[in-house]
Amino acid sequence: MIEVKDLKKKYGSKEVLRGLTFSVPEGIVLGFLGQNGAGKSTTMNIITGYLSATDGEVTVGGFNVLEEPDQAKRLIGYLPEQPPLYMDMTVEEYLNFVYDLKQIRLDRKKHIEEICAQVGVDEVYKRLIANLSKGFKQRVGIVQALIGNPPVLILDEPTEGLDPKQRIEIRNLITELGKNHTVILSSHILSEIQEICERIIIIKDGMIAADDSTRHLTDPLRGCSDLLVQILGPAKEVRAALLKIAGISAAECLQETEPGVFEYSVTVREDADVRRELFEVLSRHGWPLMGLRSRKMSLEETFLRLTE
Amino acid sequence: MLVIAKKDFRQYFTSPVGYVCVAVVLALYGFFYYEVISTRSSGYIPGIYSSMLVWCMMIIPILTMRTFNEEEKNRTDQLLLTSPVSIPGIVTGKFAAAALVFTIMTLGSLLPCFFISAFGSPPWALIIGNVIASLAYGFAMIAIGLFVSSMTSSQIIAAIITFAVSMMLILIDHIPGGNTLLNKAAGWISFRARYDSFAQGRFSICDLAFFISVIAIFLFLTVRRIESRRWR
Repeated sequence: MIEVKDLKKKYGSKEVLRGLTFSVPEGIVLGFLGQNGAGKSTTMNIITGYLSATDGEVTVGGFNVLEEPDQAKRLIGYLPEQPPLYMDMTVEEYLNFVYDLKQIRLDRKKHIEEICAQVGVDEVYKRLIANLSKGFKQRVGIVQALIGNPPVLILDEPTEGLDPKQRIEIRNLITELGKNHTVILSSHILSEIQEICERIIIIKDGMIAADDSTRHLTDPLRGCSDLLVQILGPAKEVRAALLKIAGISAAECLQETEPGVFEYSVTVREDADVRRELFEVLSRHGWPLMGLRSRKMSLEETFLRLTE
Repeated sequence: MLVIAKKDFRQYFTSPVGYVCVAVVLALYGFFYYEVISTRSSGYIPGIYSSMLVWCMMIIPILTMRTFNEEEKNRTDQLLLTSPVSIPGIVTGKFAAAALVFTIMTLGSLLPCFFISAFGSPPWALIIGNVIASLAYGFAMIAIGLFVSSMTSSQIIAAIITFAVSMMLILIDHIPGGNTLLNKAAGWISFRARYDSFAQGRFSICDLAFFISVIAIFLFLTVRRIESRRWR
């Protein structure tokens, strides 16, 4: 649906994008991550045709954004970092203006009403935008992106500045929209990206630092995974017994969590399930198992590892 | 283009700007008409438009000062520039809205004429010549004002520069120095000389083409200026 090839952008002498290449297939929710100034918003602005690239090519639905801007723009609904709202208009006036601006040919009243109900702005439909709360302004921004049912939605930090309740509501809405739209979403809230997106691109200094599925990025050790095990028993002997179990490649005693109970970080080889053997070994020695959980690397850890 | 024009025209009247500008201009026209009626001679009516020129020079910068920089400041330019409307469409839409407000002001000035015509015979040819001259001058200044607004992020600076340019274009043919090349060039770009020609009832294709060229050039420059932002 979206093809980005060797995208470069310079602001004066500063090179913000240094050859980004990626493609977004139809119907996925893609998370865009990066530190401030990494080039996320610039990339989004180039895809939507707001900015021009210094070099490279962007096509949306097969239309080159530079050469066939009108066709490409018709396929995109864009919510910039700051919603582009006219404060002196009511929500109704604004949405009707956007409807005309995008040259939509659907049943105007029905279409706008449907989107307003879906996003939850119908209760403020007649109100002046200047008088709305930040959450509602953000929602109105999302509604304008949805007008015309564009197949591609580009949302730049849609939950920025919202309270936790509003954030959850917008997150649920984006998950819902992701079912029948291709969505590119940027956010600083990594847990949000982890929850909503199927695939994540991490940008660092204008280049792609990682482009993978969310599952793989949150489990970067892939070949193996860690277990955190709490066992009541002598630390040295327990560790030696653990290392004898087939499938365990490493075991390290981390700390004493309770009197006599030690916590171990256990690295398990790919596809190995050590739980049964672990239980048998511990029960043979009479060492009660006090806790067992898998330890996956969070997206925060992956993000920091890749961007620092 | 039409959707932008409608939006901008509406915005002139959702803020006090449109009402204040129209009211001030019509009040001034009313004052000058009162003076003419006091002289009991409708022959002085064309002179009203000449006197109003300096007031229009002040009002037009107020109409145009926020056209582009306000959009940029509020980031609503992102909505316009990512929609399937071309940049020339956006620029001409904004021009049309400001031109329509100016037309309302100028045509509104004809109302006293209709009342006077019930009691006398105003020189309609001269009056219409003056109205056309005012419109041509106003539209050209609006195009210049739009260009200035696209150049600066400050509304005040945009208004001051537009006013300064309009002053310069009116006064440029008063440069002393005889028949030098500079004087000839000044005469060629002077708005006053072209305006006077219309105002005296002489319809000149050349002068009309001059004003249309100024409008086209500055709208083109505004389009190029907006496009250039994307490449910065």
